[in-house]
Amino acid sequence: MTATLTTDAPVEVRAASVPHARSVPPASSVHWRTMTDEAAAKRALFQEQALPFMDQLYGAAMRMTKNPADAADLVQETFVKAFAAFAQFEQGTNLKAWLYRILTNTFINQYRKNQRNPYQGALEELEDWQLGGAESATSTVGRSAEAEAIDRMPASAVKDALQEIPEDFRLAVYLADVEGFAYQEIADIMKTPVGTVMSRLHRGRRQLREKLADYARERGYALPDSTSPTPTRSTT
Amino acid sequence: MTDCGCDKAKAELEEFLHNELSPQQCQDIRDHMANCDDCSAEHLVGLTLTNKVKEACQEKAPDELRSLVLGAISNLDNRP
Repeated sequence: MTATLTTDAPVEVRAASVPHARSVPPASSVHWRTMTDEAAAKRALFQEQALPFMDQLYGAAMRMTKNPADAADLVQETFVKAFAAFAQFEQGTNLKAWLYRILTNTFINQYRKNQRNPYQGALEELEDWQLGGAESATSTVGRSAEAEAIDRMPASAVKDALQEIPEDFRLAVYLADVEGFAYQEIADIMKTPVGTVMSRLHRGRRQLREKLADYARERGYALPDSTSPTPTRSTT
Repeated sequence: MTDCGCDKAKAELEEFLHNELSPQQCQDIRDHMANCDDCSAEHLVGLTLTNKVKEACQEKAPDELRSLVLGAISNLDNRP
């Protein structure tokens, strides 16, 4: 018999009945039964803890891939990877953030490179959001109307607008506004410095806001034209 | 009352909205907004945007995805 160097259970059972088989190291003498129990317990824990995040991960995957079939594939792949690495997850730490890290990694490595529109944000370094001022041309009245218009916007318009902004911006907005992750958590998930997260989030939200304002104007919502030279000022 | 003024408030509204400021900084901004319609309105736009995005992005994973995932996981378990 040619014994192979493996910790695989059936080999071990066989090895136990063959005294001369030197190939099975003593350290790996875990009983087959115990292995099965452990695997079952691990799977039960994973199902209980990780699977409830499926809807959320699918929502994020939809925003990433922009279509249901790819989103489902991405989520499935994320869970498979997460399960395979579940032993490395430190119980008591943030499982949701851990799952999002795997999701984001998988997306970046496998899906993004297949996509057209590989925006990589060269302009991002300008940090123009820090300069501010772009919104100060709008009056208080204009802002109130803007808030009201956004509030009345159909979900489909918001999703369309999200799809139109650069991917890194969209992801930052999604992670902050939909999932409520802290800047540091987003930085860990996207593997970027916190400053970059802030930049992407600010720029993404500003672009989103502009797109929604355009949408509102096109539909004839009462929204002052931001290019108007004499915005109405509130005196209150 | 430690009103931080418009410039500082506007610069930090995003971080205020995302809960990234210290309690003192938050209080400064709240104090300012209590007296400034302009900054309050700006904050309201930001808040509305966040709520709207959150609401619009709620998704329900297809039922078959759950069984696919469960199947894939148990295959991993049974892999030799």
